[in-house]
Order: sequence, then structure tokens, then C-alpha cells
Amino acid sequence: MRLRTLLHTSVLQLTLVYVALFGVSVLALFYLIYWSTLGYLERQTNETIEVEIRGLLEQYERRGASGLADVIAERVRRDDENRSVYLLADAIGRPLAGNLTYLPPDLLTGQWLDFVKPDGGGASTPVRAGLIRVGPGLRLLVGRDIRELAQIRQLFARASIYGLTLTMALAIAGGVLMAFSARRRLADLNKTTRQIIAGDLSRRAPLRGSGDEHDELAGNINAMLDQIQRLLEGMRHVGDSVAHDLRGPLTRLRNRLETLAAADQPRREDLLECVEQVQHVLDTFNALLRIARVESGAHRSAFAALDLERIVRDVCELYQAAADERQIELVCSVRAPVEVFGDRELLAQALTNLLDNAVKYTPTGGRIVVTLERTEDVARIRVADSGPGVPAADRDRVLQRFTRLDQARSQPGNGLGLALVNAVTTQHHGRLSLADNSPGLAVTIEIPALVRSTPQRVLAAPLTRVASGAPRP
Amino acid sequence: MRILVIEDDRDVASFIRNGLAQAGCNVDHADNGKDGLFLATTEAYDALVVDRMLPGVDGLTLIRTLRASKNTTPVLILSALGEVDDRVKGLKAGGDDYLVKPFAFSELLARLEALERRTKSGSDAPPTVLRAADLEMDLLRREVRRNGEAIDLQPREFQLLEFLLRHAGQVVTRTMLLEGVWDYHFDPQTNVIDVHISRLRSKIDRGFERPLLHTVRGVGYRLDG
Repeated sequence: MRLRTLLHTSVLQLTLVYVALFGVSVLALFYLIYWSTLGYLERQTNETIEVEIRGLLEQYERRGASGLADVIAERVRRDDENRSVYLLADAIGRPLAGNLTYLPPDLLTGQWLDFVKPDGGGASTPVRAGLIRVGPGLRLLVGRDIRELAQIRQLFARASIYGLTLTMALAIAGGVLMAFSARRRLADLNKTTRQIIAGDLSRRAPLRGSGDEHDELAGNINAMLDQIQRLLEGMRHVGDSVAHDLRGPLTRLRNRLETLAAADQPRREDLLECVEQVQHVLDTFNALLRIARVESGAHRSAFAALDLERIVRDVCELYQAAADERQIELVCSVRAPVEVFGDRELLAQALTNLLDNAVKYTPTGGRIVVTLERTEDVARIRVADSGPGVPAADRDRVLQRFTRLDQARSQPGNGLGLALVNAVTTQHHGRLSLADNSPGLAVTIEIPALVRSTPQRVLAAPLTRVASGAPRP
Repeated sequence: MRILVIEDDRDVASFIRNGLAQAGCNVDHADNGKDGLFLATTEAYDALVVDRMLPGVDGLTLIRTLRASKNTTPVLILSALGEVDDRVKGLKAGGDDYLVKPFAFSELLARLEALERRTKSGSDAPPTVLRAADLEMDLLRREVRRNGEAIDLQPREFQLLEFLLRHAGQVVTRTMLLEGVWDYHFDPQTNVIDVHISRLRSKIDRGFERPLLHTVRGVGYRLDG
């Protein structure tokens, strides 16, 4: 079972190909070494024989058959090491001169023959020889002892076989090891994945720290899992909050309706209050749906180039009356148009939510400053109030759905305002930041501004920057 | 008013029918697009209430078909799809107003009355002077007088009063005001609009025996005609 799965892994298949290629290369290498060493020796032997044959032929031409026989006898006598083999034979193969007693069978002229010459006493010598016809009925064989050559060749063959075997063994072992290692790493990933499918989302793929592509894959999978876990936690948080924040009003509504049902003559005011409570629940639902819809990016298709100045002025104007009524000074500091790519309604609603909070939490006699400015390629809307502010520790939290700080509980609201602002900002590829306005809260929305290279704007940009010296987070 | 309601949800339909009947309207009802289209083309109505998602012929197709056959009966679209692009699609198809479910009945009635009024007055040349009781607005000279006395209004207050005057005698909701005066289509927060109204009220009603601008609890406002 294990072997079969192993055979199916692509890594092993690749390894086999790799082993085959490796083997072929080793063989080619051996052949090259053979050709340039043993081959050289062999060629040298052949050359020696050829030279000797040519010399003997010359002797024959000059001194005839008997002269040649003398020369051969002389050379045999002089060859102390007994390295050379000579034989002059007649037409039927009878030896006329030389140290070989017979003409080896199957010997054709013009070809090399390797044969074994018996030396008497059981010993023998491997010989390489060439044979030529020297005259009518005369054949001359000249050979050399190639014992050393044969020995070296044997050594080489043995070395080649050992070498090749070792190479193949190493290649196969390496390949199998590689296959197993890759399988094990994938098996780790698969194991993690199965555990996650089984419901344990806290599992993570093991990292080796080697930085290879397996690690990269595992790292990416882990990052993806982190993201999924964050989203799931977000959803669970929303689910819990929905349950908590809507169960309250719905329970109160139910109690009230039960009381009304028991009464003989329900009062109109009580009924209207019920309708108001339902409306509150519906508003919360709508706000949640809207945030979800904004986060899904469904609005992106409706994005267009628009002027933030118009929106900021509109919303400031919308809240001016409410601020006046509470004797809050609302300052709208807008100096130049700032174009961005976005959704007019969403941006207006985000700003509305910010101003709503500001007016709600700023005490009578306080001050709210709304600034729109542009620095380089960033449009920045800042709403700074002189209210109680948000403690640094809570600033991330208040961007979550349904977060309501204790001081806010006395005010109407559903805890979704800043969550929507956050979602809208994110959809505009922007950044939402909360900072201390000492006293109060300063909320800043930064979104990319559209770049227009008209001279007027080039001039306008630095002016607004100089003019707005307010401290920024 | 004679009104045709084309809505397949039985509860919503009966809620609208009962409410309209109580308000003195004569109501017909169709529960699918095909019957609705038949009634709308064969009978004369003051306004149609059309659900966007209908069996048979869907709401937008129904409206397009009506408009293609030169039927100009005002149409109020009802829809669970409440985003701006949905609204734009609905209005492009030939709808006159768009209301997102769930809605308050008062909002529906206010919008229907506004629609009916708009078509009735739309035939004449646009008026240059709007009147309600002893209140008078001159649109060309941008002047407002009550009982001959000039009232000084900020531009936005002027727009607000103009909208109220154009809907004099009817209830207008906060959402209608945010749409009609500020041209934004989200739910106005808590009391922003209220403050604008009370400020306007202090200018046009203060010092006069008879108040013209009334708050309709839980719904919106009404300027006496």
C-alpha cells in the first residue's frame, strides 16, 4: 500500500528520470575516460605493431624471404623480455621463422586479432597481432604481449562496474529519500488540512525555517488560515452581538406587547412606542446589512470621480443646526476642492456618522472642527471634537460592530456608526485613525486623492498644508 | 385616489391594502406581474405600487412595458434591495419613487400622495409663486412673506420650505426631506432634520397665531395647505 502510493508520487517519477539521466551521464563519462587512457595504450600497441610490420616488409623487399627469416630470428633473440611475437609462415601455415609455433586459426590479413599464446607449463600470454601477406605463399604475423593492457582493462571494467553500481545506488537512495521527504512534508500539510476540516481551526502547518518553496507554501497556507480565523471570529463576534443587541429590544417589545394584549383598551402611545422599538431593531439590521454590503465591495462598480469639498460642506451644513442648538461651535475648514474616486453616498454617510458622534458626545459650549485637506496624493478628512474622547486602549475596539463604550450607553445609538465608517474607508483603500484631540477625539479618514496636474491645484496643495497646522496623529 | 398594488407577498399586500383603504383610497390588488400589467393597462389608476420581485413578469420589466406603451401613471417601487445602484436602476426603468422594505406605512402613504400631487400639477406651467395659507414664496425673486411680512431665510431653509410648500397639506418624512432637499439617500441620523425644521418653524411660525408647520409623530412633518 505504502509502496503503491509512493510509486504514484510525481516526485518519485521525477527521481527515476533523474536516476536514468545520471546513469547515462556516468556511462558516457566512463567511455570518455576509457577512450582517452586504455584506448590510447591500445592505439600505441597497434602503432608499434604496424611500424614493426613495415620494417620487416622492407627487409623482405631488400633481402627476400630468407633474409626476412634471419631478421626475425635476430629480433626474437634480442627480445629479452619476450614481449614480441613473430611468425613467418608458408601458404599452408607451417612456421618458417619466429617464436610462435603455429598460426592462430580464423586469422585474416589486415585485421587485429587478440589471442592467447600458450607459454608452456600451463602459463599463457594474451597477445595482439596483425597478419599480412608478404609474398607468394608467405604470411607474416607480428604481435605484442598485451598482458598489462588486459590487466588495466580488467581493473577499469571492475572499477566501472563498482562505480556505476555505487552511483546508481546513491541516486536511487537519494531519489527515494527525496520522494519520502517531499511526501512527508505534503503529508504534514495534508494532516493539518484534515484536522482543520475536522474542525480544529487552530492547527497550523509546520515550518522548517529553511525558506524553500515547501516552507513558502506552508507559510501562505498559515497566513490564509489566520485570515479565515479572523473572519470567522469577526462573524462569531457579529453573531453574538446581534443576538445580544437585538435580543434586548425584542424581549422588551415582546413584554410590552403581552401587557398590551392583556389590557382591554391599549393606549395609542404604547402602541406607537412598540412601533418605535421595532423601528430601532430594523434600523440596526439595516445598518448591519449596509456594513456587510459595503464590505463585500458591491459599491465599487458605482465608484466615480467626485469632489470631497462638496460632501464635507453638505454634511457640515446638515449638522450646523444641530450643533447650534446644543451651543457647540462647528467649524468647517475646507479650502480647496479635493477629488477622489469613490461613492458619494457612502462617503457622505461615513462623514454623517462621524459628525453625529461628535455632536452627540461634545458637551455644550464645546467645539467641533471638520477639516478637509490634501497632502500630495492623500485626501484627509478630520473630525475633531472636544468631547470625552476615546481611551487609547479602546480605539481599535470602537471600530468593531456593536462596540459601545460605557459613557455612550446613555446616548441613543446602535454601536455601528464607526464600523460603517471603517468599512467605507477600507473600501476606498483608505485608512481610518483615531487620536487624542486633548481634550476630545480626532478621527481622520485618509483616502487616495485623484491626481490632477492643473496649476491651480498644484498651488492649492501647499497652501492648505500650511494653513492647517492642527496636530495630527 | 385609485391605486393598484402589485405585490406577491400576501402579508405586505394586505398591510398596504388595509392602510390605503383606511386612508380613503380605492385599492385593487394583483399578486403577480402578468395580472398586474393587465390591470395597469386596462384600468385608470392614480398611482401604482409595484414590488420589484414578482412572479411572472418582474417589477422593472412591468414598468418598462407600461412606459413603452405611453402609460404615465406614477409608479412607486417597493423593494428589499435598498442600495443606491438598485434605486437608480428602478428609477431608470421608469419608476417615480423607490421605497425600501421594510417600510412604515406612513412613509408609503406620504410618498404616494406626493406622487399623485406631482402628476396633477405637472400639466401646468411650473408655478413661480408657492402659497400655503398666508405664507407666500416667490421662486423668481427668492422671497418669502407671511401675511405680507418678509421672512429672511438661509438658502437651505429656503429649499426646505420650498419642498414643504410643494407638498403642502401632505405628510413628508425625514427620509423624503433628506432626499428632496439634500439629495442623499440614506436614513438621516436621529434628529438632524428635526433641528432644521424647528429652526425653519421658528422663522415662519413665531409671532403668528396659527402655526403652519406641524410635526406628525413618528412619521414626519406637514405644512398646512
